[in-house]
Parts: sequence; C-alpha cells; structure tokens
Amino acid sequence: MATTTIAPATASTYRGGLYEWLTTTDHKKIGIMYIISSFIFFLIGGLLALGVRTELAQPGLQFVSNEGIYNQLFTMHATVMIFLFVIPMLAGFGNYVVPLMIGAPDMAFPRINALSLWLLPLGGILLLSSFLLGGGAQAGWTSYPPLSEDRPLGSTGYGQDLWIVSLILIGTSSILGSINFLVTIFKMRAPGMTLFRMPILVWTVLVTSVLVLMATPVITSALMMLFIDRNYGGHFFDPATGGSAVLYQNIFWFYSHPAVYVMILPAMGMISEILPVFSRKPLFGYKAFIFATAAIGALGFSVWAHHMFTTGAVFLPFFSLMTFLIAVPTGVKFFNWISTMWRGQLTFSTPMIFALGFLTMFLIGGINGAFSASVPVDFALHDTYWVVAHLHYVLFGGSVMGVFAGLYYWFPKMFGRMLDETLGKVQFIIMFIGLNLTFFPMHMVGLAGMPRRIADYANSGWTDLNLLATIGSFTIAVSMLPFIWNVFVSLRSGKIAGDNPWEANTLEWATSSPPPPYNFDHLPEIRSERPLFDLRHGKTGH
Amino acid sequence: MSSSPRKRSTSAVRAIALLVIVVAAFCAVFFYAGWWDAMFPVKAVTSQAHQVSELYTVIMAVATVVFLLVEGLIIWSILRYRRRPEDTELPPQIHGSNVLEVIWTVIPTAVVFVLFVMSLNTLNTVDAVSKTPDVQIRAVAGQFQWQFDYLTPDGKTKLFTESTPLAANGGGLVVPAGLNVQLSLTSPDVIHSFYVPRFLFKRDVNPGMVNRFEFTIDPTEAGQTYRGQCAELCGIGHWTMQFDVVVKLPSDFAAYVKERTAAALVTPAPRPSGSVALELKAKDIQYDKKDLSVAAGQAFAIHFTNSDPAGLAHDVDIRQSDGTTVLQDKPTTDGGKDVTYDYTALKAGTYTFICSVHPQNMSGTLTVK
Repeated sequence: MATTTIAPATASTYRGGLYEWLTTTDHKKIGIMYIISSFIFFLIGGLLALGVRTELAQPGLQFVSNEGIYNQLFTMHATVMIFLFVIPMLAGFGNYVVPLMIGAPDMAFPRINALSLWLLPLGGILLLSSFLLGGGAQAGWTSYPPLSEDRPLGSTGYGQDLWIVSLILIGTSSILGSINFLVTIFKMRAPGMTLFRMPILVWTVLVTSVLVLMATPVITSALMMLFIDRNYGGHFFDPATGGSAVLYQNIFWFYSHPAVYVMILPAMGMISEILPVFSRKPLFGYKAFIFATAAIGALGFSVWAHHMFTTGAVFLPFFSLMTFLIAVPTGVKFFNWISTMWRGQLTFSTPMIFALGFLTMFLIGGINGAFSASVPVDFALHDTYWVVAHLHYVLFGGSVMGVFAGLYYWFPKMFGRMLDETLGKVQFIIMFIGLNLTFFPMHMVGLAGMPRRIADYANSGWTDLNLLATIGSFTIAVSMLPFIWNVFVSLRSGKIAGDNPWEANTLEWATSSPPPPYNFDHLPEIRSERPLFDLRHGKTGH
Repeated sequence: MSSSPRKRSTSAVRAIALLVIVVAAFCAVFFYAGWWDAMFPVKAVTSQAHQVSELYTVIMAVATVVFLLVEGLIIWSILRYRRRPEDTELPPQIHGSNVLEVIWTVIPTAVVFVLFVMSLNTLNTVDAVSKTPDVQIRAVAGQFQWQFDYLTPDGKTKLFTESTPLAANGGGLVVPAGLNVQLSLTSPDVIHSFYVPRFLFKRDVNPGMVNRFEFTIDPTEAGQTYRGQCAELCGIGHWTMQFDVVVKLPSDFAAYVKERTAAALVTPAPRPSGSVALELKAKDIQYDKKDLSVAAGQAFAIHFTNSDPAGLAHDVDIRQSDGTTVLQDKPTTDGGKDVTYDYTALKAGTYTFICSVHPQNMSGTLTVK
C-alpha cells in the first residue's frame, strides 16, 4: 500500500517580514495591525483636538485663521476618533483575542478578515486627504443636513463627499468584521467551550457584532442619500424642496447610538477579564453580566432619539423612559465588578490600574448621562459643553482607559515581552490628571451656558475653565510619551513574559507568547469559564 | 471574614492616611473655590426654568449619593482587599448571588422610574403651549442672524420686525416681564437652535417646520438683559449668531410695541432728486458686484436688493481695506426686501464693502477717487 505523505509546512514557505505582514491572513497579525493603525489615528485625532483646545484657551481667534478651519478641526477630530480609533481599536482586540479565547485556530473567514483591516487605512487616507483637496468636512461628525448639503454657507467642496465615502468604506469594514466574529464565535469554539463558558469579552464582542450588523447598514443608507442629495440632485433632506432634515437625524442616530455601545461594550469586556485575574477571584455574577450586556444591546436600539429631544419632532416620554432604563444594566455591571474585587486579593499591575481608572471615570460618564435622560434638564444641557464632558467621560474615561488596560494586559501575549510597570504607572498618573483637568471643567462651563462647536466666545466667566481644559488636553498629550517610549523599549528588552505572566484563566494564556500561527498545540479540558484555573487548582477551587 | 488578624504595615497606613488627606483637601478646595456651586445651572429667570432648576437639584442629589456610594466601594476595595505577602491561599471563590443581582436590579429600576415620573411632570408644564398666549413673537434664524417678528395676539399678522439682535446696537428680543410669551421658530436655511442659558431651555429651529414654546419671565426681572445664542452648528459664522433678551415692564413693553408698530407703517420719505444711488444685489449669499467706485468727498447712496429668501439678512457696511475696522455701519435688510443706504463722504482711497452677517462670503472693494 502506498504511503501518502503530506509535506509539513516548513520554513521554505516562510515569507519575508514586510511582505508577510502585508499579505497575512493570520488573525493575530491582523489584530496587531488593527491596533497599530488605530493607535496612529488616535494620535492624529489627538493632534486635531489639541488644535481645538488651543483655539479655545482664550477668547478671540488666535490659532486658526477662520471659523471654517475650526469647524474642520472638531469635525475631523470626532470622525477620526470614533470611526478610525475607538471602533477599530476594539475590533483589533477582538480579532487578536477572540479566536484564542475560544480555542480556535483563526477567524472563520481569514481573507475577509484581511479585507476588513485594509479597508480602514484606505478610508482613513481618503478622509484625511480632504485637507489637501480644499478642506475637510466641517458640518460636525453628525453632519446634519441641510448644513452638510452642497449649498452656499453649507458644505461646498470635496471634504463632505470624501467624508461620506470614507465612512461607507469603514462601515463596510465593520459589517464584514461583525459577520466574521459571529460565525467564528458560533461555529469555531473548541470542544467543551459552550456559550456559557465563553469569556465575557467574547460575549461583548458577540453582542457588539449584532449591533454593528443591524445598525451599520442603516447609516450607510443615510450616507448614500446624502451623497445623492449632494451630487445627483436628490432632495431627501432639503426642506426647501420637500425633503426632511429631521429624517436624517433619525436615521443617523439609529446607527450612532448603538455605535456608542459598540465603543464601550468590548472595553467593558476587557475590564471583566482583567478585574477577576488581579483579584484572584471569578467574575461575580457571570450570567447576570451576560444578560446585562444583552439588555444594553437591546435597549440601545430604543434610545436613539434622546439625541433629538430639542428637535420638537420626537415622542419625548418613550425615549426618556428607555434612556433612564439603560442605566439599570450598566449599574448591574458596576455592582458585579465591585463584588468581584470584594474580599479578593488585589494586586496593582498596570492593567489593573487602568481597569480601576475605567471604573472610577466611566462611573462619572454614566451618572452625568442620567441628567440628559431627564428631558427638561436636557433642554438646558443639550449641545452645551456638559454633553462634551459626558461623552468624553464615556469614551475617554471608559473606552480609552479600557484600551490601555487591554494593551498592558495582552501586550505580553502578543510580543512575548512585558511592558515596563513603572513607565505604565507614570503614564496612568499623567493621563488620569489630564483627563479630569480637561473634561471636568466642561461640566461647569456647559452649565454656565457655553454651547459646543463654537470657535470663539466673549463670556468672561468661561475663560478660566476653558484654559484649564486646554492645559489638561496637553497633559493628556504628554502622557502618551511614556507609553510610546515603553513600547519601543519593551519590544527590544522587556522582561520575557512566559505563557501566563498574570496567572490568568482564559485559553489565550494556555499557548506560548507569542502563539504559533495555528494558535494551540493542544487545548486543556474546558469545564468552566476558567479552564486554566481548573488546570491549576483542579475542582477544589470551586 | 478572615480568621487571622491582618497586620497592616506602617507604609500601608501611611498610604491610606495620605489618600484621606488628599481626598479631604480636594473636597475642601472643591467647595472653597465655588466649584460645587458651579455644578448647578445659572440662575433661572422664567417660571419654567425654575422648575427645571429644581428638577436638576433632585437629580444632582441622587447622582451625588450614587457617585459617593460607588466610588467609595471601589476605593474601599482597593484599600481593604490588597493582596498581602501572607496571602498564599486563594480567597473564597464566590461566583455570584442571585439575591444580590435582584436587589441591585430592582432598586436602581425603582430609582430611575421615580426620576422619570418627576421629569415627565416637569416636562408637561415646561413644554406646555397655550391657545391664547399674552404675546406672540416669531424668531427667524437665518445664517447667521436672528430676527424677531412681533405678531398680533392671534399670531396671524406681523406688526413689525426687529432685525438688530443685540441690545448694545439698540435691538434685541424685547419681552415683557410677568406675561406669557409664545415664541414660534422658523429657519429659511439650515438648522439652528434658540438657546438662552438663563431660560434653562433651548429648542431647535428646523427649516420646513415651526416649533413653538412659551416662557414667563419673573416679574422682578424687568430691566434685565440676557445673552442667548445659536446652539446648533449652523456653519462658518455659528458662534457669531448671538442675541439679547431685553426684559421690560408690561407697560413699557406695550409702549414699545405701539411705537415700533407705528414706525413700521410710515412710508420712507422719497429720496431727494438728483442724488444717485449705486445698484447692488445679493443672491445665494453673494453680492452681484465685487467692485464699486464713488467720487471722493461726496456723500453717496447704495440701492441694495436682497434676493435671498426671507429670514436671510444682509447689509452693506463700509470698512477699512483691512476688512475689520468698521467705518460706516448699516442695519440689515431681510431677504426679499430692498433698501437705500446713505453713506457720508469718504476720502480718496480703497475701502471694503462687506456684509456684517456673512463677512466670509460677501465683500468687495470700494474705490474712492
């Protein structure tokens, strides 16, 4: 009988460094590139924000030559941060970690995965190229028509069109990514990895993917209609010719409110992985946490019009009630996180410090959101700096803190070396101070009546608070320096991590650091949501 | 509870003491610097705003309790449950508690439901619109200027228009104290938002639809002026779109309306024969001419036609050639109207004629020789 031999994959098929990275379909390399690309856009978005803050430091127009450029700065800041930093950054973590966590060799559709990745820089470059083609979009990241229509004193020029096209590309990337996540999670789990044994991060990626899949096509339709209005004589959103301006807001927020949860749920998932490990306890209320995540996802589709309370065109009581209610599952998560730490044995490595930063700061973003759920109070606060404070405590105090917790936590797995603890703590302290210095005074200046998106102000009561916020924003910028230095130093000479430097319990720590291309040589038995804990302690720990 | 008494090292005690001192110092500064007061809205001046202010205080009280409770539990966990060198054994592996989950689902649900009902009650009065308000005014928000049309009590006929939005220039939204004022909002172009911080209220001005709301300013506020401004990004001149609310005694208000109504009915005197007016038109937020020239040392006039839609105001000011130093300031003219502006004599040289509402789009060179 003839013996069939299959040539093993050997070094002969190895492709050179750069070419390998550009053509890879390995979810780990793709995840890392997602993260690097997102971080670069984070720095670009940060520079745009520094432009905004520099202009607002003092009354008068000093930094930008006219309001149009100012409007471009904050429009592009928000667009870059939301669509090119937070969403893809979390998708990057999902890409790297999810297959490892469920014991899969890769994502379900590796080539589509590579396509989702490469659409992002394409979209980003298109968006930023508008600065060289007559100026970026300047109608705000919400781009409400008729201001975003091609009309005098509206949005003439290519900036708005490039904005639309790049958002459609990035949205396509999100949709492809979410399908990939769903198929991977449902079809590629290792034997024994039942749904209710999956790590919470996987659950949050699952719910996030459902949100993306249901909401993103809707905003794509709004963007298409706006593009038709602008370029092919459509009248969807122009009231002068029978369209409806408020229609756009409904469609836009039907996506963009769930998008808020897309930007926070995976960060909550990361925190829920980190807190138990550094408390030496299981996550308190594992199933309650899953139900809370699902509840946030479901309620997230019924609160979009709380962005439109002042339009006079939405049914206020319904959206107010739903918005109040969404505080409940978020509260459940907080109590579960605290109970996880309760009577534990806490150690304060950098990932844990950032996770605690998330808890303390995201709490503020949750509480000040409840003010706006009350419609009469929102009449006073809407479109003032209060809202800017609120959303930054959610997205910076929440998502960004979570992202850095995740970076410090999984960096050893990705590169086999630890990040430096001292530099990490220095970064945290500077960032924590900068964050509060920037965003806390915005509550006060908002209550004092300062609207958002104004290039200049003449109210002397607003000056000191604005100056404080500007100083804070530069403090945040400084806090990025120790991090970047840390990454460069640690990649070369960081402490060797080993397979499981944190004594963590999920499957990604069962393989080598970094893992081989196929992820696992063999998998441990999976009998609970903490397979490595079971391996270390048997069933005695339970 | 742990069976063996835990020993705290002196450094840990010192750390806790330091933290307590820092937190206490922060709280002291917070109150002393007036930051606690700054966490409340500006002083309310309408009967509606007082209700919003009270509601805010209730929510702030609940928020403060929740904030202190949750942050306190987090900080307590950090201080109390630090891993110590003697902690070699695992802590109790508690996976959860259904009783606790129910408790911290039900209690917050009850709290937010109470807040929701309170909000709804306040909303019903703040948002109420009556059939017969004492005063009806229409605010027209165009890029980038507010105009106020004063209407008859039935809201059907316009008495006069105030096209100067700021009190310093002799205009503003003049309203009576103590009376119920209904404002209707319209826009000829993009979305704006009517926002007066002291009203604790804003309402969007949507093109293609009319929003209405009412307010009653406290009787004690007569003589006061409050600044308001557009709160919805409306383009390149968004921040300049400001206005003043000027509060008068009801009797003074009645006299004001009477005087302005009479003035609006007077037909302007015919121009003296022989004086020549230059022609200038505006359409699509552009002047039709980029260059005008007049003789030096002679008074002149410009017959200005605004062909943009109603609500979109323009004017023709004369400035130095730097485009900023104002020499001769003229009132704005609404879309669909024409006017003849008279100017005093200028010395020979080059000047800028410009629309003060749209300086970025509308300017030209005035040559005087």
